[in-house]
This record gives sequence, C-alpha cells and structure tokens, in this order.
Amino acid sequence: MATNLSYREKTLYASLAAELFVYGPYFFVHRQNSVNKVAGMIIAIIVLQTILQSLIAVLTRNRITDERDRLIELRGYRAGYLTIASLMVVGLGLLWFHATVGHHQMENRMIGLHFLSVFFGMLVIADITKTATQLVAYRKAL
Amino acid sequence: MPAIRNQIRELRALREMTQQELADRVGVTRQTVIAIEQDKYSPSLETAFKVAIVLGVPLEQCFQYDPRGKR
Repeated sequence: MATNLSYREKTLYASLAAELFVYGPYFFVHRQNSVNKVAGMIIAIIVLQTILQSLIAVLTRNRITDERDRLIELRGYRAGYLTIASLMVVGLGLLWFHATVGHHQMENRMIGLHFLSVFFGMLVIADITKTATQLVAYRKAL
Repeated sequence: MPAIRNQIRELRALREMTQQELADRVGVTRQTVIAIEQDKYSPSLETAFKVAIVLGVPLEQCFQYDPRGKR
C-alpha cells in the first residue's frame, strides 16, 4: 500500500482498539453501574495501552512525528472537547431534570453510581471521538 | 482544484529521489510527503522552503498558489 501507516497512525489504531475492547463490554454488555468495574477498566486500559504502545514502539523503526501529526492531533482534541462540552450540557440538563421534575425515585447511592456511569461514559465517548477524528484526518485532505 | 499545488513528484522523479529520502532530508514523515504530493496537505512555509532547498529549486517552482482554488 502506497500510504502505509505512520507511527502515529499505528498508535491511534491501537488506542482505539484498546478503548473499544475495554469499554465496549461495560457499556454494551454488562449494563451495570459499579465503582469496582470502573476502577478495573481504568487499570485495564493503562496496562493494555502500555503493552500495545511499547510493542508498536519496538516494532516501528521510524518514530518521527512532524507538523502534520501535530495539526491532526489538535483537530482531534478540538473534536473531543466539543463532544465532552456538548455531553456535559446534556448531563447537567439530566441532573437538573432528575432534581426538579423527575418522578423516577432512586436511592442516594444509586444516583451516585448512575452519574458516575454517565460522566465516565462521556469521557469515553469524547476520547473515542478524538481518536476517530484523528484517524479520519490522516485519510482526508487537511 | 486546490489553492496550493506542487510539482514535487516530478522534481523528485527527475532527481531519482524516493519519498522516504525526501522525507528524511526535510524532517517529515513519508506519509506527509505523500499527502503533499497528492495535494491533500499544504505544508508550513518552513517545510515548503526546506523541500525547495532539498530539491534545489526556487520555492515558486515547487509550489504554486491559485487564488481561485479551494482551500
């Protein structure tokens, strides 16, 4: 392939794969709120990312990054920021709804877990958006 | 038609220089050279000058600006 992957692209694909592998089951399979699961996922993503990024660094001879990489990185962070800011507005709106007009009664502990899950989900979505935006930017004209 | 076009591919071919060699001498990745040659990325002024210097031609022989082109 004429445009085979650069070092930065490889690390981005590895990050995306690790995020989907670790976070996917929590949000789409278990559907349970749990502080322990969130803590476990954070540890799992750190370990998995360390292994994958180390492997890529060892297997890639040319690890140079340049101005285009930095521009694409900035675009990714902008997309991630816009995503998390938008989701925060939605999250705060939901919180206000629960506190004022919501009829769905929950115990205090459950409310805490519920919002832990919601805000953690926002972080995950924003991070995946950032990574995906960067990967798309590598394939499109800047 | 892009606003900034270039003749890098042709100039490089004349010098029998590979994309990797040009990238190494300019200090960018091969993927960036590919993106520039395909008019998918307009480099910074500094990189544009470096490309022209490595290819041994004036900047305007390497890069051309078309005000009617789309950015």
